Amino acid sequence: MPEFVSNLLNILLVALHVLVFPGLLFAAVGGLLLAGIDRKVLARMQRRVGPPIVQPFYDFFKLMGKETIIPAAARPGIYQAAPIIGMVSLSLMMLFFPIFGHSAAFATKADLIVILYLLTIPAVALIIGGSASGSPFAGVGISREMVVMLGYELPLVMVLLTVAKKVGGDTMTFALEDIAVWQLANGSLLFHWSMIPAAIAFLLIIPAEVGTQPFDVAEAETEICEGPLIEYSGAPLAIFKLNTAMKMFVMTALFQVLFLGGIDLGKYWLLGGAVLFVISAVLTVLCMTFIHAITARLKVEHLFKFYWTVVAGLALVSLVLVWFGL
Amino acid sequence: MFKKLIAESMTKSPWIYHVNTGSCNGCDIELVACLTPRYDVERYGFKLAGTPRHADIVVVSGPITSQSKDRLIRTLEQVPNPHCVVTIGSCPQSGNVFKGSYSVEAPLEKFCEVDVAIAGCTPKPEAIIEGLYKAAQILKKKREAMQ
Repeated sequence: MPEFVSNLLNILLVALHVLVFPGLLFAAVGGLLLAGIDRKVLARMQRRVGPPIVQPFYDFFKLMGKETIIPAAARPGIYQAAPIIGMVSLSLMMLFFPIFGHSAAFATKADLIVILYLLTIPAVALIIGGSASGSPFAGVGISREMVVMLGYELPLVMVLLTVAKKVGGDTMTFALEDIAVWQLANGSLLFHWSMIPAAIAFLLIIPAEVGTQPFDVAEAETEICEGPLIEYSGAPLAIFKLNTAMKMFVMTALFQVLFLGGIDLGKYWLLGGAVLFVISAVLTVLCMTFIHAITARLKVEHLFKFYWTVVAGLALVSLVLVWFGL
Repeated sequence: MFKKLIAESMTKSPWIYHVNTGSCNGCDIELVACLTPRYDVERYGFKLAGTPRHADIVVVSGPITSQSKDRLIRTLEQVPNPHCVVTIGSCPQSGNVFKGSYSVEAPLEKFCEVDVAIAGCTPKPEAIIEGLYKAAQILKKKREAMQ
């Protein structure tokens, strides 16, 4: 009997992790707040008043209350399942992050590889959903989304490899817990000079992953009417918008885990960790907002060229430096 | 609890879809002026949507030429409920100076229900903002009527 009870408690604890604390609810609320801060700061940079910080919550609940239209040309099952697939993978990803002394809910030996796979699923869900909607504009959008994915995946893999090599030496570690422990002993990776190009490359990957200007070619609303999202309305659209916000949150959290984990807070780990988490998340988003405010949308081929030369080049510089033990 | 929140959100985040049915571009410029830093309707949550599927408020300008009539009706059919239709300027209300032309089909009331009509040739941005704000309140009533 006690064994049965402890099993049940374990399942409940995992469900709590997935649905509430580092998982769905936490990432959704955090992501929507970050999206609100992004819109507000962008408005202030353009000398506007801007929407309130809780605006993405209003958008989300409004879309929840709208009618969901399924076009005659669409495949209803895949069309409705696609946003949920993306949401599930994003909320699972939060479980792998040890943040400022808070240990991760799931820790494995190959976190980085799992995260790499989970990160591609939301983009793939967008592609599947767009292609299931049967609109030619969505067709253009998904082909662009695929090019964007190819563009940022290569530098992302190189950045993750660099971190693994720097921390693990010859054996290369892919466990985020090990990376956190190493940073506590040796200082944050951001302040090792050989890692600075990789950190900049990672900051440049975030806007493409989230799909904000100048890298929003897939959802260019003025050219191809929001691309893959063109036919979506109501609740599925709300979940896609939520996915975008959660992606922003997950990417900023990943940046902290990979590059800012070296701050030892001692006994103030609970409060101090929470405050530091908020500060660094907001600062990471502000980098993104700044790029958004000063640029216009790139062409698809320019985006691809930018990621495979400039960003991949920065990551490569770090990788080579780390390979020679610097 | 969520019903009240959703109804309240209807007034806070209305997304606009703009249809030009042969307008002289005057009203379109005034609508765009509302989105610029000077008037900034985004502070009330208004946003231009790229497709009618995302729209809450459909803004129609122009005297509805015979060429654009069928396209306008098709566009309005694609908007999910609850939604509002707002006309900008005198053209969609009466035909304005184009009234009596063989190629003009105004008023818009012949084809769909109009919730708010903003008169003027062209209306000032302040008038457009007031009209859009009223449309957002109607949106909430329509949502409450849906349940």
